[in-house]
Amino acid sequence: MPDARNVLDHQYLEMRWRALSLAADLDRIQRAEGGDTVLQDDQRMVKLRRVFELLISTDSHDRAEQVQHILSDQTPWPE
Amino acid sequence: MKFIDPHIHCVSRTTDDYLFMARAGVVAVSEPAFWAGYDRSSAASFGDYFRHLLDIEPKRAAKYGIDHYSWLCINAKEAENVALSREVIKLIPPLLDHPRVLGVGEIGLNKNTRNEITVFEEQVEIAAKYNQLILIHTPHLEDKHKGTAIITSILKNDQRIKPERVLIDHCEEHTIRMARENGFWAGLTIYPVTKVTPTRGCDILEQFGTQMICVNSASDWGESSPSMLIDTALEYRRRGHSEAEVEEVFYSNPCRFFGQSGKWKLKPGKTS
Repeated sequence: MPDARNVLDHQYLEMRWRALSLAADLDRIQRAEGGDTVLQDDQRMVKLRRVFELLISTDSHDRAEQVQHILSDQTPWPE
Repeated sequence: MKFIDPHIHCVSRTTDDYLFMARAGVVAVSEPAFWAGYDRSSAASFGDYFRHLLDIEPKRAAKYGIDHYSWLCINAKEAENVALSREVIKLIPPLLDHPRVLGVGEIGLNKNTRNEITVFEEQVEIAAKYNQLILIHTPHLEDKHKGTAIITSILKNDQRIKPERVLIDHCEEHTIRMARENGFWAGLTIYPVTKVTPTRGCDILEQFGTQMICVNSASDWGESSPSMLIDTALEYRRRGHSEAEVEEVFYSNPCRFFGQSGKWKLKPGKTS
């Protein structure tokens, strides 16, 4: 089992730029015409806000799987 | 170290990609029938495509010492047209004895529509009737979970289908259990963007174990690369897994699944 601090050491710079990239993505959407409305109401953003809440929780062990479910189509099967 | 790319769309790749694969140690590939970058207008187009898969790509690959095999089907992306699909399906049985055909695939779903399900079921029927291995395409992104559930449900309910002769491909964190717990092989498709990355692929291997899992690059018409297979193997080794463990996943497992066809020549085991 690898040491968690070593794993973080290896991943940190990549996690850092991914966080910055997401922040810049959100800023770009907000600067565009209608940005506030899209960030607030677009269903994709609604789902992503749920994802962000999950990411910062400290008591989950299967975040990737939970994110997949949040982003999955939940409609019934075709008849 | 030798590698096998068990799912790669060579028709969409340049000769430089073959050269890259040869230099990286890829010795064999399997190419499922899929979309050609555009929707085809007639069954005859598929007939030409099958000839390309069976005659042309093996020759291109052989120039680089790579053994090339194929799968035949009409893919889910073009299966919305049921009438055209049925014309294409008629072309398949006479080709199944070809020495380069491993089975029926990649069949499955794309947008999980009723028409796609109809065409999928009719191709499962062909596979069952002719005792063929099956390679399954599961939908991407938000359609994946529902599509994988529909596909595995259909396969489980068909008593003729042996799960160990089916590979459910493009599995991700939320679908791999559906494949594994029902006794199917699972495929991980590694992309540079949008889907499973080399690091997540290795996470899945470590969490779910390496039995009955094949890793592939897809290398299709989208942003993709044969290097994804090698990058995943390197990441797996960087995490401390031995050469033997790397070989197990990236060479022996595809040999075990494809070996059931009776046509695949390579055997699981030591490569270097």
